[in-house]
Amino acid sequence: MSALAPAPPAAALFDAARTEGRGIADTLRTFAVATRLGWQLEANWTDPFLFFIYSVAKPVSSALILVVMLEVIGGPAGRAFRPFVVVGSALWSFVVSGIAGLAWSILEDRERYRVLKYVVISPSDFLTVLIGRGVARLGVGLAGVVITLVVGVVALGVPFDPGVVDWPVLLVVSVMGLASIVGLGLLMAGIVIQTRQESWSYPEAFAGALFLVTGAVFPLALLPAPVQALGLLTPLTWWIAGVREALFPGGPGSVGGEGSLYASVFGHANPGSAEIIGALLASGVVVTLAAVAVFRRSDRRARQAGLYDQTSGS
Amino acid sequence: MAAPLDLIGRSGTGPRQAADWSRRQVILTDLRSVRGRAYPRVIGLMREPSWVLFEILLPFLATSAFVFVYRALDAPQEYVGFVVLGGALTAFWLNVIWMMANQLYWEKSQGNLELYFAAPMHFMSILFGMALGGMVMSSTRAATVLVIAGAVYGVAFSVDQWALLLGVFVLPLGALYGLGMVLASLFLVWGREAWHMGQALTEPVYFVSGLNFPVAHLGFLGALSVAFIPLATGLDAMRQLAFADAAFPAGTPPPGVEVLILAAMTVVSIVAARGMLIAMERRARRDGRLSVRWQ
Amino acid sequence: MGFAVPADLTAETLAAPLDGAEMPPLAIEVRGIRRVYAAKPAPVVALDGVDLDVAPGELFGLLGPNGAGKTTLIKILTTLLLPSSGSAQVFGFDVVRDTKKIRRIMNMVAGGEQSGYGILTVREQLWMFTQFYGLTRGEGWRRVDELIEAVGLAEQRVQRVSTLSTGQRQKMNLARGLLNDPWILFLDEPTLGLDVSAARSLRELIVAWQHAVPGRTILLTTHYMAEADELCDRIAIVDRGRILAIGSPAELKKRVQRESIFRIELDKLDGGAPTLAHLPGVVSASEAANIDAADQRQVVVMNLVLEDDGVLGQVVGALAETGSQILGLRKSEPTLEDVFVELVGRGFAESDVDATEGTG
Repeated sequence: MSALAPAPPAAALFDAARTEGRGIADTLRTFAVATRLGWQLEANWTDPFLFFIYSVAKPVSSALILVVMLEVIGGPAGRAFRPFVVVGSALWSFVVSGIAGLAWSILEDRERYRVLKYVVISPSDFLTVLIGRGVARLGVGLAGVVITLVVGVVALGVPFDPGVVDWPVLLVVSVMGLASIVGLGLLMAGIVIQTRQESWSYPEAFAGALFLVTGAVFPLALLPAPVQALGLLTPLTWWIAGVREALFPGGPGSVGGEGSLYASVFGHANPGSAEIIGALLASGVVVTLAAVAVFRRSDRRARQAGLYDQTSGS
Repeated sequence: MAAPLDLIGRSGTGPRQAADWSRRQVILTDLRSVRGRAYPRVIGLMREPSWVLFEILLPFLATSAFVFVYRALDAPQEYVGFVVLGGALTAFWLNVIWMMANQLYWEKSQGNLELYFAAPMHFMSILFGMALGGMVMSSTRAATVLVIAGAVYGVAFSVDQWALLLGVFVLPLGALYGLGMVLASLFLVWGREAWHMGQALTEPVYFVSGLNFPVAHLGFLGALSVAFIPLATGLDAMRQLAFADAAFPAGTPPPGVEVLILAAMTVVSIVAARGMLIAMERRARRDGRLSVRWQ
Repeated sequence: MGFAVPADLTAETLAAPLDGAEMPPLAIEVRGIRRVYAAKPAPVVALDGVDLDVAPGELFGLLGPNGAGKTTLIKILTTLLLPSSGSAQVFGFDVVRDTKKIRRIMNMVAGGEQSGYGILTVREQLWMFTQFYGLTRGEGWRRVDELIEAVGLAEQRVQRVSTLSTGQRQKMNLARGLLNDPWILFLDEPTLGLDVSAARSLRELIVAWQHAVPGRTILLTTHYMAEADELCDRIAIVDRGRILAIGSPAELKKRVQRESIFRIELDKLDGGAPTLAHLPGVVSASEAANIDAADQRQVVVMNLVLEDDGVLGQVVGALAETGSQILGLRKSEPTLEDVFVELVGRGFAESDVDATEGTG
């Protein structure tokens, strides 16, 4: 604006329509911008080799740990369970990426970049921004899943036949599982908003606890019944079971089996694809709605307590 | 009110004398700096109690998952003990990675780093103070995992040589934290890459260290690990001593030799840390990285 | 507020504190310092051959716009940054080789500092730093409590650092800078971001601290001219990595003030401005305003430019002859920005824009 030009009347400057927003268009744009930002931050590598190590070595090492455990104890007989543990381990790296992604975005923006308060006061929906920021980490996590499965097939003797894969089931459970993971990530984000100490390890610790109850690397039937019940209420359990069932139909499952709580409640040993999808949908919806409620509550509490621009650390 | 420091305005004392500290003064300052830097860590634990859940109970559950994997395989009971011991020691490795190696990157972004360098103590004192403060949390976590898991999963320890067991517990800590100091100085220069490197140093190190199984099962790779990774050496020695009755695969040295390896690792890592910190500080001063926030 | 004088300082020591002390002639000696940052797209020359001397006991200011190189010079002197070439010494210690010694006798405080651990209280935060300077546990707490009182943070002593206001935080930072009773204190824009009241309070603290014990040296960087004018014994005006002029505020202003400028308020002036303009020694006289004061009096305000202060006597005499009564008289002095404009050909605000565009 020229310093010499006379200012227009004040009434002419204010556009009331700006306060209305543009509904879904704004949401989509916010999501796109946040996703791009998340990717730029996540992929800001000066050394691609390090990026490769980070995104590949972590999930592959997790799988190798389990494979060696099987080999050490089970020997050749244990190899039948390799697909079980490799799939579970590969998927778990995706879970960790998703749960940590949203929570770490909060911590980075509050503690490191100090922009969290500016994001919160912007007209963009905070929830949408967070989810967009988390997408990049989910992308890296997905790459880890694929690479681990490929390594499992190529190097670890996991028998994989694309011809028997139930692709529609795989697609459906993947989409629903993704939503559940994002929901759990939102839950974690709501928690770290409240913690005053730098809590970078909390998401992984939370994921580690879920690791026990979701049948990721061993059948749920080994757990006490109350713990199995907890697992059956968790959408991740059904997601992992669904992916296993889709990739290796008829192979060892994590939910059912002899002596499992599932078998005693539902009267048959293992769930079919339809049951898995149904249970995943039901548990996923409940968890996601609960996570959104927790997040909104946490957001309100953070505004009341002025937590968005307080840094902490020790 | 007692007089403040005797540094200014005394007859015969000028700035050049004031800058000339005795060796005793230097050592005392370094020791006090260790205490000073450990202080916020310990205070932080008391004021933010959520760590009890997230740093102790939940990791215990994660360790339990591997216990159940062995149960699914009908593994011998000592393997449950191996996993429990491994799970306990991850606390220290995570402390080294996240509370030391990566800490300087966070300190720089907060503006604390340049204040530390502008102060007269040796920077290793700061890192050591961080380590000590973090050790409180790590030790609590390790002890909790051992006690609870031991009780819940019926782990029976059979120890013949307590002194040696204590040694192979303390020595890896020295070596680990020395390694943490080395990583801290590297991460100071690497900047943002450091965080990703920290991430990359968790599961891969767990694997090659035999966190859930005797590292001898990895053959030559296991032998290399015992030679170069304090976590692997310490864990293997502790397992051999804590479960003296168990059958171990051949391929790793006896605990007595591993103690010597750990002692050498401790000396090497601390000497290397000192050298690297000096070199990295000089480089950071040359490149102006002590106070740049984002790199 | 006030800073305690060490109990065993005698009147004689205070009067001549440096008798017998091995005191180097200069607190700061800088020769030909250059600092180049490797930046993209082109290297940035932050300091381009700076020479500077600061005597012990001085409050020396570096005044210049953003991007002038003030912070870079302070970082070199506080041993956080190596110069690309040239040399610098603090009390005879080389900033490259004798870093440990310098760190024992200096401290630094920067404006806008957000350092510290939010989870600690003010007292705890400061105590932690006393340990880095080698105080015992008890000495540390005592020193912290003294300084908290001195800087006016007594009510916030057990408040968490993360809950402090900007002004309170900066007072805490200043207290941290004084913990080791430094021989030389480096202040890098210490009042940055503070409101008028908080800034004034901080300046008063700085002056009080320096005056409490002779020999304390301060190097202050600022882009607030009034602050430099008020606080500093001598000032170096810095722009684009170079020192343009050094001197006391009065000396620097004399460079641009060739005439004496007065603003005079009269009850009346028969004949108006020409009455005074014709007087010998009066360069120009102009009527600035003709206002009704609150008590219904007429006030005539004149701006007079005289060849020198001595002409004022003739002006006053002439006014008496015309029957005018002088209601007020004030001398206008050039500001340090006038000095800067004289030296560089542009103002501070324009320099800030240039610095931003140059680094953007």
